[in-house]
Amino acid sequence: MNSQDIAAEIRAYVVAEYLAGEDTSDLTGDYALIDSGVIDSLGLIRLISHLTETYQVSFDDIEFGPDNFRSLDTIVALIETHSVTPVQ
Amino acid sequence: MPSPCLAEAVAVHGHLRPHETALVSADRTVSYGELGELTQTFRQSLLELNLPAGSTICVPAHKSPETIALLLAAFLEGLVVLAPSPDLGAAALARLAQQARATHVLTAIDALTADAVQANEQESAGFAAADPARTCLLLTTSGSTGTPKIVPIAAAGFDAFAAWATQEFSLTDNEVALSYAPLNFDLALLDIWTFLQLGAQVVLVDQGRATDAPYIESLVTDVTFIQGVPMLYRLLTEAGTTFAPVREVIFTGDSVPDSLLKPVHDAFPNAKFHNIFGCTETNDSFIHEVDPATVTGKMPIGRPIAGTDALIRDGELLVATPFQTDGYLNTALNTEAFETIDGRTFYRTGDLVTRDDDGLYSLQGRADWQVKVRGVRTNLQEVERVISAHPDVIEAVVVPLPDEQAGVRLHAHVSRRLSSALTGLRLRTHAGQHLPRHAIPTSVHITDDPMPRTSTGKPDRNLIKSNRLKEIHP
Repeated sequence: MNSQDIAAEIRAYVVAEYLAGEDTSDLTGDYALIDSGVIDSLGLIRLISHLTETYQVSFDDIEFGPDNFRSLDTIVALIETHSVTPVQ
Repeated sequence: MPSPCLAEAVAVHGHLRPHETALVSADRTVSYGELGELTQTFRQSLLELNLPAGSTICVPAHKSPETIALLLAAFLEGLVVLAPSPDLGAAALARLAQQARATHVLTAIDALTADAVQANEQESAGFAAADPARTCLLLTTSGSTGTPKIVPIAAAGFDAFAAWATQEFSLTDNEVALSYAPLNFDLALLDIWTFLQLGAQVVLVDQGRATDAPYIESLVTDVTFIQGVPMLYRLLTEAGTTFAPVREVIFTGDSVPDSLLKPVHDAFPNAKFHNIFGCTETNDSFIHEVDPATVTGKMPIGRPIAGTDALIRDGELLVATPFQTDGYLNTALNTEAFETIDGRTFYRTGDLVTRDDDGLYSLQGRADWQVKVRGVRTNLQEVERVISAHPDVIEAVVVPLPDEQAGVRLHAHVSRRLSSALTGLRLRTHAGQHLPRHAIPTSVHITDDPMPRTSTGKPDRNLIKSNRLKEIHP
């Protein structure tokens, strides 16, 4: 999966899971998902579980913090640096 | 803290029992000796700021040994600390600091930083200055929004509270407490400050991982005392683990669902169970010992704790506790919230209660607009006010929806100005600048249609709520 595919998949997941039925045309890669409450603490657990299953990544303790999930861009970057299979 | 006695007691533990563990935080243990040294370092830094005696400083309540040491240092220096939520937006934090007349905002994340606060007469108008002879900690009511209420915690009240809790739960310096709530919550008066005063151990749950069940479970290994909202116990009982060393389990902050009783009974085979009821203004006021094996129906809040008087007026609970605040800094709010009856000051809780023939009190709901989101008191009207303040919003209604995990989550129904391009995402950004995170609605419906109304012309909240529930569970 290339990084555009990853970005598209993660965006689609976030939209379906947290923004169902809403106008998301202005959901940019740098939109503050955590600070604006789109993903709350319970939502973050679901997101992490989705990412670990879909991309076979494992996050160590430090990276679990919300900072790495603050926007679509940071989530994609996190996946790219942690995928078991190298991203092309 | 919350009192000079506390800060001195912790300093004494540092000298007499320097190798005993005070705090456990993120795989790091901090001994009383280390906590004492850290506190001394911060005292030196505070001295260098040359603050007038009894000044108020603002310390966002990051849950870390450094922040705890900074607070202890401030108490020892005779300063008053305003300790708001660390999640508060920059604008809201600045306003709060000005209202409390704080001289600096201090943080102790890596190094100590001190940013001077620009005094603002307009913001602080109507706010009393905290009296350093009576208080050294200012909390804000949880669930507060753009205009939080600032609650001075009475130093003598804290001392009385710590003495009560120590006796009620037979606490000693052998205890290990799990601190689940944020440091800025009144719950920390028990599970952090009382335990530190005793020289016991406190395990700090990182706020960012407060819903991570395996993580929390890993922290509970040596814990003997747990206080938390029902959600904590749901997380801890998920995996079916048994926590044998726990001898005291306290439910607080929200009503305990029946479905949780059997799991907690199995998970904590050696524990006593209590439900505790209280709020920032009065600290704890009611206690009820629970036997999870025999409870049927709705759990009562129990009876007033020693020294507390309770009255029911028009269904609303009024309480006077030995621990309560002297009143909000926003003095205009005090007439409404506090009332002197037969020489004692009572706080109007806004909670509707009933009392049965045995003298057991039970909660029936709120007299106002408050709900609990993830256990945190949240005022729907204040959320509506913030959302309605967005220039593109004509009208906003926020309704609470039942949620299995969060207890309640918020849904906003917003009609926007016709020419505007307002989206739910833009509105959330606006909300995030003025509201704590738990108060930002989980779902937002933006519409160009007029607001549905009742026959009396008010927004039809029930219709909005039932429509939304039908959308989620058709």
